Amino acid sequence: MSAEEGPDVAAAELALGLLEGEERAVALRRVLAEPGFAGEVEVWRGYLGQLFDLWPEAAAPAGVFERVERTLDAPAQIASVRAPARFWPALAGLTSIAAAAALVFIVVRPNPLPAPPPPVAAPAAAPMLVASLAPMDKSATAMAAVYDPARGQLRLTEASAPAANRSAELWVIGDDKTPHSLGMMKPEGGMRAVAMPMRAHLAPGAMLAVTIEPLGGSPSGKPTGPIVAMGKLSTV
Amino acid sequence: MTDVSPEIRARAELAEYLVRTGDEDRAAFRELYLRTNAKLFGIVLRICGEREAAADVLHDVYLTIWKRAGAYEPSRASPITWLATIARNRAIDWRRAQKIRVATPLEDAPDVADSAPLASDAMLAEESRHGIQVCLDELEPNQRDSIRTAFFQGVTYAELAERVGVPLGTMKSWVRRGLARLKECLER
Repeated sequence: MSAEEGPDVAAAELALGLLEGEERAVALRRVLAEPGFAGEVEVWRGYLGQLFDLWPEAAAPAGVFERVERTLDAPAQIASVRAPARFWPALAGLTSIAAAAALVFIVVRPNPLPAPPPPVAAPAAAPMLVASLAPMDKSATAMAAVYDPARGQLRLTEASAPAANRSAELWVIGDDKTPHSLGMMKPEGGMRAVAMPMRAHLAPGAMLAVTIEPLGGSPSGKPTGPIVAMGKLSTV
Repeated sequence: MTDVSPEIRARAELAEYLVRTGDEDRAAFRELYLRTNAKLFGIVLRICGEREAAADVLHDVYLTIWKRAGAYEPSRASPITWLATIARNRAIDWRRAQKIRVATPLEDAPDVADSAPLASDAMLAEESRHGIQVCLDELEPNQRDSIRTAFFQGVTYAELAERVGVPLGTMKSWVRRGLARLKECLER
């Protein structure tokens, strides 16, 4: 930043949503790399939260809640939204896209089977990827991740549980240099399906990172808390 | 605790409805909607700029709330701030996806001095020794208006500069100096 453009207040700028493009990407990388910066962003979110008091109200149009209920009751939504809800809070908006993609896939299958297997996006020959996530913080333990591109499944070893009022969120930073959430870590580890839109980011050289976030994950969908473990994906 | 203020009771009830929504209690979710839809629609409408799109975004906001409510932690955030943050972020996501530039002047941001805090959120003011509203009032008008517009309308530097008709560097300089002074005041 040039001197004539003012002091460094990137944490506030990120919390306010002023940045775009490369400037935003730089600030998001700082959130991952600098725990102090991540903390500052959270403090700014708290300050700005006080301004919600001032926001003028406007009665919502009739029928919105009924639409919400219909969406929740639709069978396609229950399968795609309810089950992974706790597991994928940060990906809430993407689950329906993934479900739609799955639906299209099933519909266009030339040879309808009674019970079609889960759709597979990656080429069958794609090699398995592994990452060893080194702890960046004494509260964390080392973890390993294995990703199977053919099935879109990520297996994680056990992780140390975050404090009771925090969640550990898993991110992938790929070619676009932007952190994308892969959902919350479970202390017991285990297998998880990676949402379709996220799969392209899981490639050799991509970084996996775990940050400590407010319960349920980063409210903004981007990392805000300190990074506790990270490691690079590589082929087996 | 026989004499709980209505503000604290309203906040506690809202937190209760949110927690029960997390347990997939539809009746609690409906009550939560009834109590918060005007606030959240106000946020979404201002950022989206058109009612029809705002109604669609509001639908997504409440679906997100339904999905994430199980993760809400009452000791960490006031329920309305938690809900409002989801609404603001969803509306900004929509707005950026549209790449629209709404030609609204800076003065359209709500007037800080005239607005009384909502009952349900009045407690928040106690959480900072110098509330952000007081500190915003200490800034130069161009700094204050730009920061308020960024918050209430979810716009970027480029959009702010375009609206006011100043070069991007000038707008960044105003806002950055303003944010630095705001930080000093808030930490005082």
